[in-house]
Amino acid sequence: MQVNKSIFIISLIICSIGFPFLANNIWLSIITTFLIYSALSLSQDLILGKAGIYAMGHAMFFGIGAYTFAILINTYNVNLFIAFMASGIISYCIGLIIIYPIKHLRGDYFLVVSLGLNIIFINIINNDPFGLTGGPNGIFAINFPSVGGLDLTGAKAIYFIALIFLSVMILLFYRLNYSKFGRAIYYLNHDHIAAKSVGIKPSLNKLLSFSLGTMLAGFTGAIYTLQYGAVSPEAFGIEQSILLFAVVIVGGQGSLIGVVAGSFVMFVLPEIFRSYAEYRLLVFGAAMVILMVIRPNGLFPSKFGFFQKRHLQQK
Amino acid sequence: MLNIFLQQLINALTYGSLIGFIALGYSLVYGILKLINFAHGHIVTFAIFITMSMLTQFLALHTLGFILALSLALIITIGVTIVLEIVAYRPLRRSNRLSLIVSALGAGMVIENAVMLIWGPNPRVFPDINFFQGTINLNGVVVSELNLFILFLNIVVMSILYLFINKSRTGIAIKALSLDYQTAQLMGVNINKIIVLVFVLGAILGSAGGILIGLTYKTISFNMGFEYGLKAFIAAIIGGIGSIPGAMLGGLIIGILQTLSAGYISSIWANVITYSLLILLLIVRPRGLLGQKDIEKV
Repeated sequence: MQVNKSIFIISLIICSIGFPFLANNIWLSIITTFLIYSALSLSQDLILGKAGIYAMGHAMFFGIGAYTFAILINTYNVNLFIAFMASGIISYCIGLIIIYPIKHLRGDYFLVVSLGLNIIFINIINNDPFGLTGGPNGIFAINFPSVGGLDLTGAKAIYFIALIFLSVMILLFYRLNYSKFGRAIYYLNHDHIAAKSVGIKPSLNKLLSFSLGTMLAGFTGAIYTLQYGAVSPEAFGIEQSILLFAVVIVGGQGSLIGVVAGSFVMFVLPEIFRSYAEYRLLVFGAAMVILMVIRPNGLFPSKFGFFQKRHLQQK
Repeated sequence: MLNIFLQQLINALTYGSLIGFIALGYSLVYGILKLINFAHGHIVTFAIFITMSMLTQFLALHTLGFILALSLALIITIGVTIVLEIVAYRPLRRSNRLSLIVSALGAGMVIENAVMLIWGPNPRVFPDINFFQGTINLNGVVVSELNLFILFLNIVVMSILYLFINKSRTGIAIKALSLDYQTAQLMGVNINKIIVLVFVLGAILGSAGGILIGLTYKTISFNMGFEYGLKAFIAAIIGGIGSIPGAMLGGLIIGILQTLSAGYISSIWANVITYSLLILLLIVRPRGLLGQKDIEKV
């Protein structure tokens, strides 16, 4: 089992490195999109699946990252690396500012507030405050400066940036369950009264997991801008937030494979079946209902921690 | 100046009442299943479109045609609601809440896109009817008969519903179910029947709101359900979820905020202002204005 797993991982790494040299540009951009949305779904999973915060406005932070990156580069000609860092950090700060006053809201109340915030965000960028966001058309034809002689806007370069970012995130998420923070949010999610009684601080962990999730979404947004060279409001609306929410629940909360598989189904399949675009959401909706009825805990329900594994091995 | 304000207020109350009708559906369902029925807004859209089709079929028959069209549309909407409850919600009643929410979202997407595929993606115009067309001019403030009818219906429906929930046997069963559904079952309440009934009640109230929206604002489109649905759900929460006067109060507050901020501050920032104020209200009073504080049981 252990050997099989390492063979699988090594072949996956080789495939993902070799892929851009074999595939044509269309496939390369589809897979890059998949990598970006997987990272985005994972960041939503940190908030929703692992920490159990019902946040349904995640596209907003994706948008904040994307817009920060686009504005910094387009309007202020900032260095690419600094702009990338800034998009994550600004998203983090806004996430922190937003969650602080609403951290006492639980469940559906939080869900509605986060949806409302996403609508506010979309309205703001549509209204083009200070001429920064370009209104409904968004910002397009962004010229990215080259970094140290390297052109980072080529399809292959973006693929590798997305791949590295996703790999780092997967590693982090894989190790998260074994860390103090990961255990804390797991137990808070599953029984927050028991967790509180053993000294886990609910509000601190909630703040931390939410703002970390938003930071990762911000970085992902920057990569998204890099890929498309343009940003426009419709990529960050509530429909997108709802899809992200659904990806995590359909894939399996807190499950790496589940969330990645879920983002494949939700964001890559429609690219492949473009000719049936009008039936896309109809089929998705039906699939969401059917999958939930058949597998209420998601496609690949997550396993957690050492204890469960040992327990399973003894059986 | 005062006239303009009064005019705005009348519009606000009309809009608020319409939101309130939809909010009642959310509030009722949330009260018993603790589920944000995301499909509700889309059911309302479906009701509007099916009524539109029926009205264009039967409008030639005047009043009789209107009643016929309305009842046919209602029957179809109720049928869809019952199917939805049985297919998408009933199997998930005992599993975790998030799966139920996703199932509701999925069901909503199905209905929204079915409406788009059946009636097309372009906005449509709701047909005119032969009555409620007059207007009353009160010293410069124009009130249409439809507005008056909406406000009147609002009060009537709310009182009937309030009495039904609090006084009738079925209403008490609904209340019992919302408190503790296992105990209610042990006391002989047929929970499947009651839950279907609540969904149907919500759909009827939502359809009434939807049809009145069609009559008042004329332009309808397949994706209007989400916007109205979300506003209505926020209305239900602001008012205090599970509370019937609360849902209406929440609707009126949203109507007033939206209309007055569009009229007096800025129409493009109206949504931002409304949602920000609503979120502030939720932060200050998480259980809503008329909601009861619930105590966490361990």
